[in-house]
Amino acid sequence: MAINLTRRKFLKTASIAAASVPLSKVTAHAEAGVVKTPLIPKGSFKDTKTVTGGICEMCFWRCQLVGKVRDGVLKKIEGNPKSIDNGSALCARGNAGIKLLYDPDRLKYPMKNMGKRGEPKWKRISWEEALDECGKKLKATVDKHGPEGIAMFPHGASAKYPMHYFEHVVGTPNVSEASFFQCRGVRDYAWLSTIGAAPGEHVDMANAKVIFGLGCHFGENIHVSHTKRYLKGLENGAKLVIVDPRFSASASKADIWMQIKPGTDTAMLLAMMNYLVENKKFNAEYVDEYGEGFDEFKEAISPWTLEKAAKECDVPAAQIKEIADLLAANAPNVSIHPGRFSSWYGNDFQRGRALACLAGLLGAFGVPGGFVKGIGPGGFGKVKWGHGHEAIKALHREAKVHHQSPAGTPTDLIRDCAITSKPYPIKSCVVWGQNPIQTIPNQQKTIDMLMQMDFVMCVDVMPTDITMYADILLPEASYLERYDYIKKGTQWDLSAKQQQYVSARMPLVEAEFERKDQVYICNELAKRMGNEEAIPVQTIEEMVDKILEPASLSIKKLNEEDGIHLQPGKDPYGDFLDINFFSEDLVEQGYPGAPTYEPIPDVPKGYLRLLFGRSPLHSFNRTQNNAWLHNAMPENPVWIHDKTAKLLGLKDGDRISMVNSEGVESGTTSHVKVTPGIREDCVFIAHGHGTQNAAMTVAKDAGIDDQKLVTILAVDPETGCHGMRNNFIKIVKA
Amino acid sequence: MKMNSHSDIDSQESIILADIYQFLAYTMGYPEPELIGNPFLDAMEKMLENYGMHSEQQDIDAWRQSEKDEDLSDTLQIEYTRLFINAVPKIIAPPYASFYLDGDHNLQGKTTQKTRDYYRQYGCDITNPHEPADHIQLELEFLASLCRDYELDAEEMFLKTLFRPWFKQFYNRIIEDQGHPFYRVSVQLIDYITKEEQ
Ligand code: SF4
Repeated sequence: MAINLTRRKFLKTASIAAASVPLSKVTAHAEAGVVKTPLIPKGSFKDTKTVTGGICEMCFWRCQLVGKVRDGVLKKIEGNPKSIDNGSALCARGNAGIKLLYDPDRLKYPMKNMGKRGEPKWKRISWEEALDECGKKLKATVDKHGPEGIAMFPHGASAKYPMHYFEHVVGTPNVSEASFFQCRGVRDYAWLSTIGAAPGEHVDMANAKVIFGLGCHFGENIHVSHTKRYLKGLENGAKLVIVDPRFSASASKADIWMQIKPGTDTAMLLAMMNYLVENKKFNAEYVDEYGEGFDEFKEAISPWTLEKAAKECDVPAAQIKEIADLLAANAPNVSIHPGRFSSWYGNDFQRGRALACLAGLLGAFGVPGGFVKGIGPGGFGKVKWGHGHEAIKALHREAKVHHQSPAGTPTDLIRDCAITSKPYPIKSCVVWGQNPIQTIPNQQKTIDMLMQMDFVMCVDVMPTDITMYADILLPEASYLERYDYIKKGTQWDLSAKQQQYVSARMPLVEAEFERKDQVYICNELAKRMGNEEAIPVQTIEEMVDKILEPASLSIKKLNEEDGIHLQPGKDPYGDFLDINFFSEDLVEQGYPGAPTYEPIPDVPKGYLRLLFGRSPLHSFNRTQNNAWLHNAMPENPVWIHDKTAKLLGLKDGDRISMVNSEGVESGTTSHVKVTPGIREDCVFIAHGHGTQNAAMTVAKDAGIDDQKLVTILAVDPETGCHGMRNNFIKIVKA
Repeated sequence: MKMNSHSDIDSQESIILADIYQFLAYTMGYPEPELIGNPFLDAMEKMLENYGMHSEQQDIDAWRQSEKDEDLSDTLQIEYTRLFINAVPKIIAPPYASFYLDGDHNLQGKTTQKTRDYYRQYGCDITNPHEPADHIQLELEFLASLCRDYELDAEEMFLKTLFRPWFKQFYNRIIEDQGHPFYRVSVQLIDYITKEEQ
């Protein structure tokens, strides 16, 4: 090596070299990246502009944003001061969105895997080449195996448009959303079969006399306007009842904290309802007027005495009675919170039914403090894909199981079908914004499913674990760089001046590198799969305008109104919903007509039940690589009870790993938090840490990934949703 | 008349310097087959020969012998993606100044802004506003432009304040990675040409 070559010498030799190497000729054809421009006076680009119209997607709550933009670069995100939902407030994650935007690990260009699936060697390719390849391969699958040969795993607002394409135009029923099957689907369908509507989180906590939360950990689980409602309620003097095996942030504020044994919630609810019925402390008027099947219900829950439930739930009978009395005394102005994430133990549909029935018994619908849905603005248009193939029957419909399954197909059935090719082969996989490796329990099975595919394509913002299995990987514009979702609703406090708002997600900055939005990507796929005539809109702006137009709004108009259109609202109270206490439909489908308690497996000797939940600083694994959020909470402490810790010889701060009852190791470590605030037979960690994907350079190996340890799958019989808290672990000192 | 303290580099040498910068800039761009073909690689080998970098020249030559011409740019594209774009387990050397200088795991940081301001101060700007201005290819192109204008003080200042402070870390990552000779050799050449006189 020419060690002593310095710049000067280099140049000297260069003059000789120049004679023989016409460097400028070799580079003459290249496109210049830096060019001469007219001189721009210094400081011309320094003005910071406020760009309105952003909608957060660091979680699904979708707060309204403004961006401070200088010279095309987003410098700061703030709440939109015009918002009557989140107002100018954002949570920590919302603020940290900027770190996602400029994360160096983000996907930048389309790439093709030149190596093996799971061990990719990426090559940047052009959009043209990438889309051609995707279109060709997907079409080949449809031609050979029919539309059901394609499975799709979508997540988030941007996945809706392509999801509808694959469902309706291509015609595959094999679409599975994690937000349903591994999250809230079971809640939605339990309430749907009881009150005829998915509940959302529509409880008027701000005006409640009692707030009742089952596993709700507000404060650790933050959604700005929802948290405002909760805090306003407490400020107004609402009593708080929290049922949770763990002394959560909400439990710490509670008037009554019931430290229940995991999985037994339904037993407790049944006993509470039986007590209310037997002692005539329920709202008989409401039940008479709006209840269906009350007598059968009454009969079915009658075995559940307070004592029986107390034993099952490992709580004092007096405490169940105390809560029931408190609710009865304050009914109907009580918030029976439906919860959100409800894929707990595989007996979750029944718990959801029981919660809805409890609200019904208390007549807590349509009244201040009860279940009340604000009346948001209406009259919007729809963008619909033209229907192509008639979708064949979904796997669970064919097999006549999971009759209460949410839209799409239960994940397990798709995965098993793909692995066994029974009843048919599934040979192409489209993953759009979802990370099935970390969202669907039993990772090995997911990998087996991917490995047998002829083709796998992923569209994402980050190189998440699933992207390692892509043949073609496409970079998507993030929520700060694209149009899409229309967010509408009312002021957060339902008793305040009635107002409605409409906003649409608009980019705060342009998409960098070669990232594209979902409408572009999906339309290009459709063209290449021979479905061009079904395309409903040409651009994402057209899509948003089409939805807004019937409401006499447009992107332009929203821009003129600082991103949010406000109009007078309507009184939301007085909507009294029918309650299906006993459902003949469910009986016909082979399920219990009244809410029923189904016990779950006990903790085996020598093991601890693995519980997981939210932290205020992360939205599952999606935020783990965010540098600010990571710095604020780099890993997830493992909550262990004092006595258990002593027995295991552990002290606060010790480093540990975990191994589950099936021998699966966590692979990574975290530290112990010794506390009396958890049951002795459980441990708790926040979900969304411990990725082992080195492409996530900030988050790799930080904390423990609960999902990796969730290998025992409980499947909720009615819905096919997963129960994920029936896994048991041992602590291993690191 | 430009004020240049580099009295030892005349305006003609400055043009040569510009050509070298320009050439090296393209080694750091995405290796499209139209650019990184045989004439480009011949020129690189010739340079190495002239500078007495014989083992490096042999490495490049050996690689060219071992592959069909049409595969050369494919190989480089995979390597470029692995080194600079996205890779599993992770990319080796993000080619952006702000990644190294602004801390906190970021692109489009303060350094990116300062860099673009510097370009503008000398009548230049980036052609693609969708990519950060502090990509190494763009910085080298800018240096070429300064040399073409015989703005050697500005060139030196840019090297000192905005280029060298991160280049060495970038360089080390590539050398330590022991990947493809094309990139090892390219960063060595960049190192020599941008290094301060001892
Ligand atoms: S709650 Fe936080 S993360 Fe969720 S949308 Fe609002 S600001 Fe964003």
